[in-house]
Amino acid sequence: MEPSPGPREESAIDSGSSPHRRPVRVEVHGLSKSFGAVRAVDDLSFTVEPGSITGFLGPNGAGKTTTLRMALGLEQPDAGTATFDGTPYPDLPSPVRTVGAVLETAFHPARSGRNHLRVYCRAAGLPVSRADEVLSQVGLADAGRRRAGGYSLGMRQRLALATALLGDPAVLVLDEPANGLDPEGIHWLRGFLRQLAHTEGRTVLVSSHLLAEMEQTADRVVIVGAGRLVREGSITELRSGAQGSGAVLVRSPEAGRLTEVLGAAGFTVAPSEDGRVTVTGTTPDAVGAQAFRAGVELHELRAETSGLEELYFRLTAGQEQYAAAEGSRR
Amino acid sequence: MTALVRAEWTKLFTTRVWLGLLLGACVLVAGFVVLFTSFAGSTPGGGQGGPPGGLPAVGTEQFEQLVLATGANVTVLFLILGIIGMTQEYRHRTATPTFLTTPRRGRVVIAKLAAYALVAVPFALVVLAVNYGVAAVAAGARGAVPALSGENLQVLANSGLALVVYTVIGVGLGALVRNQVGAIVGGLVYLFVVEAIVRQISAIADAYKWLPGGALEALTATLQGPDLLGRWQGGLLLLGYGLVAALLGTLLAVRRDVV
Repeated sequence: MEPSPGPREESAIDSGSSPHRRPVRVEVHGLSKSFGAVRAVDDLSFTVEPGSITGFLGPNGAGKTTTLRMALGLEQPDAGTATFDGTPYPDLPSPVRTVGAVLETAFHPARSGRNHLRVYCRAAGLPVSRADEVLSQVGLADAGRRRAGGYSLGMRQRLALATALLGDPAVLVLDEPANGLDPEGIHWLRGFLRQLAHTEGRTVLVSSHLLAEMEQTADRVVIVGAGRLVREGSITELRSGAQGSGAVLVRSPEAGRLTEVLGAAGFTVAPSEDGRVTVTGTTPDAVGAQAFRAGVELHELRAETSGLEELYFRLTAGQEQYAAAEGSRR
Repeated sequence: MTALVRAEWTKLFTTRVWLGLLLGACVLVAGFVVLFTSFAGSTPGGGQGGPPGGLPAVGTEQFEQLVLATGANVTVLFLILGIIGMTQEYRHRTATPTFLTTPRRGRVVIAKLAAYALVAVPFALVVLAVNYGVAAVAAGARGAVPALSGENLQVLANSGLALVVYTVIGVGLGALVRNQVGAIVGGLVYLFVVEAIVRQISAIADAYKWLPGGALEALTATLQGPDLLGRWQGGLLLLGYGLVAALLGTLLAVRRDVV
């Protein structure tokens, strides 16, 4: 069963960065799907632009995976569409050359990673040599001939990513790709995604339930809760919109006077023992300026939660109850 | 479509399930042939001559047809080959990358049906070769090598056809049921419990000849059995079951969400 790239195989594709890759915009419009009484995805619309990393953010159970699976033709939406440059996924002339997706990190345990990739080379009409190319691209060249059943979670993530890269696609859709990666793996993934989006101009959509991860990786975020869009915009926009809604921790030898001064200036202050004071609804800058004007000595001044984090909690809090109430009302 | 069929073959031959099933089928067939030959000509009481209820004697036409039809007894392993071929996609969750690569899911099921039907042909030939080879040695040791001609050849060919059709039925069944254990257990219970009971109850025994097991028996049985269809009718009916399973499996795979 040794493959020979026959004449039937379609033209070989460029590996690595191709400046000729056509940028593809992803448009999700009015997607909805219910499972029983639960509205998993509710009239969801957003767009994903080429050349940037878009974080698809929301707590577990917010409908992220269902949305991605519907966009890729694996599940049938009750309503709405998802298109890649205007074409629904199943209608794309060669889907894996346009969109690469990481949705599952499960493989046949007895098949080697390399053979797994070769299966999909065959099915997509790609030269089987692509299997080795993508393996080295994700740093799995040495493990390629081992049974996938013996792979660690991080290696599975890399193999899944390799599968998505087979067709050198213009769009990458990744569902929680950081799950199971160690800190070094996460750092590698971040750099890898940046290269794919910023250097190579691909459209990258990454789902995650961790804001901190997305804050460092994504250019834009689409935040969902209970199947609905709660916020869409660039990280910078969101950060400035969330200005002053975080919590600031201050330590001072004159905690009592600091509490008075800040309270008089209209801040919400919660002093505790050992000289610590927590100020909510503001920024370290504002607190520092006030303390300086009053001549209070500070030993520590830092943001305990960033405004963005606070905003994310607020936007997505209590979604479960919300969903249940929605369900019983119907 | 050629690319998809080749992809299915790559899937099949990059794990060792096929080897286990094929070896198992060969061992079973060899064992049955030896068993049949050892007890050929004996009656339940222990006498000689092959009266009703016992096995016909070596060298008789009935014995040769019986022993060369042994391949039909391992159709169940070929059924399991087909079932695993389809359900492994769901069991190991490779259905997602498979259907992402080929979003027109019907094409995947059709490619699987074609790939497994085609691969079942050489597999069946191996089983038939073992069947004849062991029969020739075992019966030869008792004085009469079965001739490879006429009716005997027809019996072998019928077994081979049954093996291929059961593989196709397995793929179709796998697409319908999706759960690997469920499909295999369901298939076994159906073949060995449900049909066996239908065959026993005289009031509904008429229905048996229209069932897959009845069609298989009509195609391959050489001993006197219940009322059955003609040989070619049984073969056609079996093919029909294979096609229906394939068609239903394809339609369902296209409509259902991949979960």
